[in-house]
Amino acid sequence: MSEKGGTVNKLFAAGAMTLAVALALSACSSNTPSGSQSSAPASGGKQKVSFLVFPSPNLPESYWKAQVDLVTKANPDLEVELVAAPSESERNDYAKQLAASGQLPDVQIGMQDLIALEPSLATWTPEELKDFLCPTCGAVNGKILQLPTNTQTIPNVYYSKKLFQKAGIAEPPKTYADLLADAEKLKAKGITPFVTGGVFVTSQPWTAILATDLYAKTPDWMTKRRGGEVKFATDPAMKAATQKFTDLATKGYLDKRQIGQDYPKTQEAFLGGKGAMYPMGSWFAAAADASSMKDDIGVFAWPGDDGALHMPTFTGGGLSVSATAKNMAAAKKFALAFQLTKENLDASVKADALFPAIKGYTPPSDTGPVFKAVYDLWQKALNEKATVPAFSWEAGDTAMLPGMQGKFWSTAQDLVSGKKTVDQALAFLDTEWEKSG
Amino acid sequence: MAAGTTIHHHKPGHAQAGVRWRRPGGKGAGLWHFLSFAAPGTLIYFCLVVLPITLSFGYSLTDQALLRPKTHFVGLRNYQLLLQDETFLQSLRVTTILTLIVVIVPNVLGVAIAVLLDRRGWLYNALRSVFFTPMVISSVVISVIWTRILADDGPINQGLRALGVSEPPGWLSDPDIALYSLSSIVCWQMLGFCVVVYLAGLQGVPQELAEAAAIDGAGPARRFWSVTWPLLAPALTINTVVLLISAFKIFDHVKVITNGGPGTGTTASVALVILQEGFVENRTGYASAEAVVMLIVIALLSVITLRVLQRREVQL
Repeated sequence: MSEKGGTVNKLFAAGAMTLAVALALSACSSNTPSGSQSSAPASGGKQKVSFLVFPSPNLPESYWKAQVDLVTKANPDLEVELVAAPSESERNDYAKQLAASGQLPDVQIGMQDLIALEPSLATWTPEELKDFLCPTCGAVNGKILQLPTNTQTIPNVYYSKKLFQKAGIAEPPKTYADLLADAEKLKAKGITPFVTGGVFVTSQPWTAILATDLYAKTPDWMTKRRGGEVKFATDPAMKAATQKFTDLATKGYLDKRQIGQDYPKTQEAFLGGKGAMYPMGSWFAAAADASSMKDDIGVFAWPGDDGALHMPTFTGGGLSVSATAKNMAAAKKFALAFQLTKENLDASVKADALFPAIKGYTPPSDTGPVFKAVYDLWQKALNEKATVPAFSWEAGDTAMLPGMQGKFWSTAQDLVSGKKTVDQALAFLDTEWEKSG
Repeated sequence: MAAGTTIHHHKPGHAQAGVRWRRPGGKGAGLWHFLSFAAPGTLIYFCLVVLPITLSFGYSLTDQALLRPKTHFVGLRNYQLLLQDETFLQSLRVTTILTLIVVIVPNVLGVAIAVLLDRRGWLYNALRSVFFTPMVISSVVISVIWTRILADDGPINQGLRALGVSEPPGWLSDPDIALYSLSSIVCWQMLGFCVVVYLAGLQGVPQELAEAAAIDGAGPARRFWSVTWPLLAPALTINTVVLLISAFKIFDHVKVITNGGPGTGTTASVALVILQEGFVENRTGYASAEAVVMLIVIALLSVITLRVLQRREVQL
């Protein structure tokens, strides 16, 4: 009996040890990448592809589902699993975390930090890019990692015609001096001249001033900064432009109380008439056209000192494919189909006011008045060869170093709140740049 | 029965010299038995705690970036850079201020509320639940609710405007106020925990001591400071150490309410900066060095606090 008990004890101990080791090993081992799993052939001969999207005020989850359905209907061999990023502004950080842990979905949309993600993304070939207007846009070390599907102008200045009228302003400003004069008139009437808020929205006037005052003269400024030829703190044009931006806050044209509100609330504030002007990307046209005040909203390009047109633009933002997608062919097939399907492009125009940079594409005729105005402004800039890069929105080799975009945006908040002087802010950006390098 | 095993019969209270009590199965079986119970927990603890800490320390000596294939050994360079890194030093300042507020305010208010609630009756039971409720709600939910309440067009500022305050404070948008708003939210959530721990401590204070002090002529304040408060020392120790650790590693409230802003790092805690360095800026080695420093600071503060507070604990 005792001998039997000892054996049972040993067996029990051995079983427990085996269980412990199994548990420990499972705890120690990394997860199988979900992206890799999902690209395996699904049941019924379908190829399963996972797709990272970002829900936003303009693009709710229902939008993404409908667009994917259009592609899968035309390509019944594809089955797509949607993965939603926590928010629009955090989609890049989320993607990097997934990539770092080997879980990057097969296909992603709108990745901005392509330099950091370079090892995790597949390269597009010239043949695959033949339908795109700018097949070299956003290259990283000469490689195209993201389909250059859309152009966006960042920012335009949306304004309320009613509030302009109330302040006695007959027409949009043509020069920077006009803009300041109009802002003063609005302020005198108790109207907040510019609606601002959150991190990237606060930086929009700064991006606008850098377009007219810096990029118009030095379009390769960021490349020079990457090469160490210029610095934020010592470049006179950068310093002067930043001073102009800071003066907008000092004069009370930017309300520092608004910098704590998030992006949807900021958009809501402009559409609710809480300010006369809203410097924002072309995508806002979609929300403007969907609002009840669409006929009250006008658009103009941020004016420079001489009144010449300099429109900040960005081309890229399309789909990218994970370098570790097991079924690369299916992932690329889905990505290209998603980007080149006419109905999908039309939907992106209507929902997010994108300007598809696809050969032969023309937007649908039933777009709203704000979209038409923004689109015409971009066409005018194209015709006049007046497009410049949008500061902090550049892509690939001409972009800021990883992590710097967020630093630039939060520095804008420091300048508006008065927490940092121009010199302190620019020195801070240089310090952070060196760290990122 | 295993060969060579000797059984010694033993009656409690009748132990004799030379008689040894041995477990069935001998020494080897005892060891196996011990290991079978200890191994699962030990291995899981090793994999989920010891191994990550050791790996973090190892990474902190490299320039590792998770999205970059090559990693190089850099020795203590990350630690040297930390000492000059204004972002990290600012996060240490922010976290220290937040920790001080979160350790002091809920402790002071907690003991006061616990004394008021240390009575019998349905109303006091209900109030205890009310005070403890924020503690059981998710920090993210709490943060979202307070973000709405403290917004410029939220109920507090609307109320102030109704009272004639034309420019109410920007609770979360003013860089000089945001950290204190954030700290207040954390204090509000942690208050219930402190109240419950102090209430438990008050239950353990013998009534005779207070009665004896009253007979000797001590008033309510004197009775509290001379009798109750010294006996609440263990509760103070628990609250202080728990609040200190929770506040120093705070992340979720900061992420949801301010994301470290407004501006650069005005409310960024060390944990938030570690996450940003590691996953946003893709500098895992450097972020690991920050994490190691945070671990050391928390460990040191906890040990010192425990030693100091345990010294004033009294035994009845």
